[in-house]
Amino acid sequence: MNVSYHEPATWQEAHALLERHGDDATVLAGGTAFTLLLRQGLIRPGHVVALRRIAGASAIDADAHGGVSIGALATHTAVQRSDRITAAWPELADAVAKVATVRVRNQATLGGSVAHADPASDAPVMLCALAAQVVVTTADAGSRRVPIEELFVDTFTTTLGPAELIRSIEIPARPAGAAAVYRKYTLRSADDYACVSVGALADLGGGVFGGLRLFLGGVGPTPMRARSVERALAGTRVDARAIADAAALARDDVDPQSDTRGSAAYKREMARVWTERALRALAGMPIS
Amino acid sequence: MKLAHVSTIAAPIERVWVVVMDVPRAAACVPGVAAVTPLGPDRFQGSLLVQIGPVRLVLDGEIAVIARDDGAHTASLRADAKDSRLGGTVRATMEIALSERAGGCELRIASDVQIGGRIGEFGQPVIQRKADSLLAQFARCLAERAA
Amino acid sequence: MSTAARLRVNGAEREASVSPEIRLIDVLRDQLGLTGTKEGCSVGVCGACSVLMDGALVSSCLVPSVLATGAEVTTIEGLSGQTLTPLQEAFITEGGFQCGICTPGQIVAASALLAERPRPTESEIREFMMGNLCRCTGYQGIVRAIMKAAP
Repeated sequence: MNVSYHEPATWQEAHALLERHGDDATVLAGGTAFTLLLRQGLIRPGHVVALRRIAGASAIDADAHGGVSIGALATHTAVQRSDRITAAWPELADAVAKVATVRVRNQATLGGSVAHADPASDAPVMLCALAAQVVVTTADAGSRRVPIEELFVDTFTTTLGPAELIRSIEIPARPAGAAAVYRKYTLRSADDYACVSVGALADLGGGVFGGLRLFLGGVGPTPMRARSVERALAGTRVDARAIADAAALARDDVDPQSDTRGSAAYKREMARVWTERALRALAGMPIS
Repeated sequence: MKLAHVSTIAAPIERVWVVVMDVPRAAACVPGVAAVTPLGPDRFQGSLLVQIGPVRLVLDGEIAVIARDDGAHTASLRADAKDSRLGGTVRATMEIALSERAGGCELRIASDVQIGGRIGEFGQPVIQRKADSLLAQFARCLAERAA
Repeated sequence: MSTAARLRVNGAEREASVSPEIRLIDVLRDQLGLTGTKEGCSVGVCGACSVLMDGALVSSCLVPSVLATGAEVTTIEGLSGQTLTPLQEAFITEGGFQCGICTPGQIVAASALLAERPRPTESEIREFMMGNLCRCTGYQGIVRAIMKAAP
């Protein structure tokens, strides 16, 4: 194998390299998924473009909209420990802390996780629930802000073009009265990928469900939005019966496949169970 | 690995059958297929580009019609392909059957796929989902061509 | 195409050949002769290859060697001088190992934990050490050893 390695110092240089080498180039962020794919023989890039030298690429800052901007190269550990994030969205820190082991969290980046688009990853599911926007930059110095759920189109597949890069991920300012939660169900060991995971955000002011966003991981080709659950609870009083009835609809909001983490039928049922648990947690109720 | 695919096509069975059994024309309905050329009666050569996220496979190979029954609308095909860049092989037999349904017909494709080399690293769930998505697009395209 | 690079390993400048497909573990074991770092699962799960990069615990089987340039890498060989550290002593006295294959990774991981949280609770130890697998001890001796080494 003959791989050329590049460490551009700026985003512009990185874009130019990706544009020049097209399909023959692979972006390297933290390197966890990269190394696994390379070792499995599933990628054979001629050019590897590492982003680690780009100044500010891992910064976690206040953004222009009163929210938090997370640089694409921030590691999961950096997100987990950021004062800004634990102050505004401790539930995101919570979700990120559930990724694999401390070793993976120290190495894998948030932007890498989003770009890799593994439907069973934790961070993308919670970022969808929190209505995060992904700032994508293009080779011609343009940029676009994409609602994160629109970035994911299929297993390991995003709408990112070959010369496009994720610059940062922006989480909106926390609305007053917002409640959020992340729940992850693993079958084998705590460091496993999710059998099913649930990220949810709602405004429960006045004891009524408002603005519910609920996404599930591990049960479809992308983080799956539980639209029927959201619709069923919109404007509904927060109570155990309503939650249980709505959670049952999650079964048909997902599109799981049978694999080593359970049959498709089992995952549909676990989608119901864990949606109910997540909603009860959101409302401050005990598990059952 | 056995894969089963069923889809409903809103076009008359005879017209769909003609498109399905015209291999180069039918193959053009599979996203990622590059020019399919005849090698002889009922034998064709072609290539299929499959992209799953960062992974690109270019499967070059042959496809042959090994049996067909125009009356019953059934056929058997065999495909043999390899990816020379990553190193991997795909061999598949496909049983295709069309049956009449109200407003059109139903297409059933039962495949037995043997995967060798690197491609197998994906694991069955990912391959199955990709195959389902390709075949669903194939069926939609057939419906358009036969309409 | 690999290139010659300088790496800081256990406090010393070392010359190594790096590329995106050469992993940090390959550099440590095959080029620098630091065979204390073990290769277990090769997919970042078992923890046998744990090392520190700028103080952060990572799986050296998942780190492309090109990303280790410019970082301070610490392996099991770099943790102790002429004598064993209190943590290593505690692994011996508390029965924190049997066959030994996971032990360098366990010690490096436990050192990272103690550097971060000098007085961890038992549940903090269990949570942090979750990703370092051991098939011999049943983990009790490992947890006891870390408790004992925590001042």
